[in-house]
Amino acid sequence: MAIVCNEVIKKYRNHKALKSMSFLIEEDKITGLIGRNGAGKSTLLKIVAGLQKATSGHVQIYGEQPFNNLKVASNLVFIEDTMSFSPIFNLGELFQMAKDFFPHWQDDLARKLLAYANISEKEYHHHLSKGQKSTFNLIYGLATRCKVTLLDEPMNGMDEAIRSDMYRAILKEYIAFPRTIIISSHHLHEIEHLTEDVLLINHGHVTLHAPLEDVKGLLVKLVGNITKIKESIPSAEIYYENESLVNGEVIVEATSIASRETELSQQGISIHPVSASEVCKYLTSQTRGGIDDVFK
Amino acid sequence: MNVNTDSSIPIYIQIAEWIENEILADRLITDGKVYSQYQLAEMFNINPATAGKGLTILLENNILYKKRGLGMFVQGGAKEFIVEKRRDEKLTILAKEIVLEAKRLFVSDDELIELIKKVQKGC
Repeated sequence: MAIVCNEVIKKYRNHKALKSMSFLIEEDKITGLIGRNGAGKSTLLKIVAGLQKATSGHVQIYGEQPFNNLKVASNLVFIEDTMSFSPIFNLGELFQMAKDFFPHWQDDLARKLLAYANISEKEYHHHLSKGQKSTFNLIYGLATRCKVTLLDEPMNGMDEAIRSDMYRAILKEYIAFPRTIIISSHHLHEIEHLTEDVLLINHGHVTLHAPLEDVKGLLVKLVGNITKIKESIPSAEIYYENESLVNGEVIVEATSIASRETELSQQGISIHPVSASEVCKYLTSQTRGGIDDVFK
Repeated sequence: MNVNTDSSIPIYIQIAEWIENEILADRLITDGKVYSQYQLAEMFNINPATAGKGLTILLENNILYKKRGLGMFVQGGAKEFIVEKRRDEKLTILAKEIVLEAKRLFVSDDELIELIKKVQKGC
């Protein structure tokens, strides 16, 4: 097992950012870490990376606890928005130093990718624009070829074109040298094609940890007369309902309508698939009516 | 072809169907080598595990066979098998949808057949 988290809790003063989080991540898988703002994504990654210490519980990276551990540090890379590099060295020199620290550093690749992104090696990190910083950080992270690669919102601030190029770069690098990757995002949609598993967290808890294809089929949307829909599925748990549209919409678990498709369609109720990113949205929403509840 | 991540059809099924289409079009022939999961991942810009799942389905359906260390190859009779299977499953479902929609729109049987003939000429 590449990453083990067991009952990890993180408290900041009075605020509990992580409330007993447990999960296992297998070696060489790409996992999408999904959650709303403030769900605890960054806190979790910081603890897995060993930058912060959990208040209680334990974390293991290939059997080693990551906090203050040099062995983990040279085999793990954590890419995030606020990464800072020494201001006295230019980007080319930063690459030069990475070569000494990371045993699998791909110098040629790093320089080629940087040139492709139109960023000069003579530039300094603190002079780059937000998008350029993100691009440089991601290139740096990929070129380390670390066994464990943690990417926290790596595409923040990048323009559309470089974004899709960088997703492609992640995939190509992963194929060339498989490694355990966690990539966090609030847009599952954007990383869907890349990910094998989804780890959905909400309010410091793990809501769901499953293969992407299973997440897709988890919920269904029923469209039709809302009273009729509710009558036909009295025991189903409702994740979302909206009666203010022309046709009522109800989101329920796919298992609650299993093998009743024809019966429902005879009653004028149509069944629609719910995309993986929508599943994540509904599983983590506070209310059953969404934004419309606020305006009631 | 591009995979459609919005589709309700899982990506690995789309990959399996694409390979089936390649066999139907004789671009992949009996005992011919099939793309590896890594090649498929690059071609379709998807996770290699997802591409692998697509290949596994075809392996389980006896459309492909595996040679250790060499990769996957097209099974003899695969094309005929796919034709039969798709006729039974996919085409029947599509036909049902067409008939249902025609009913809703008050299209008579003759009109529907006429329409299909017209579309066929266009193809």
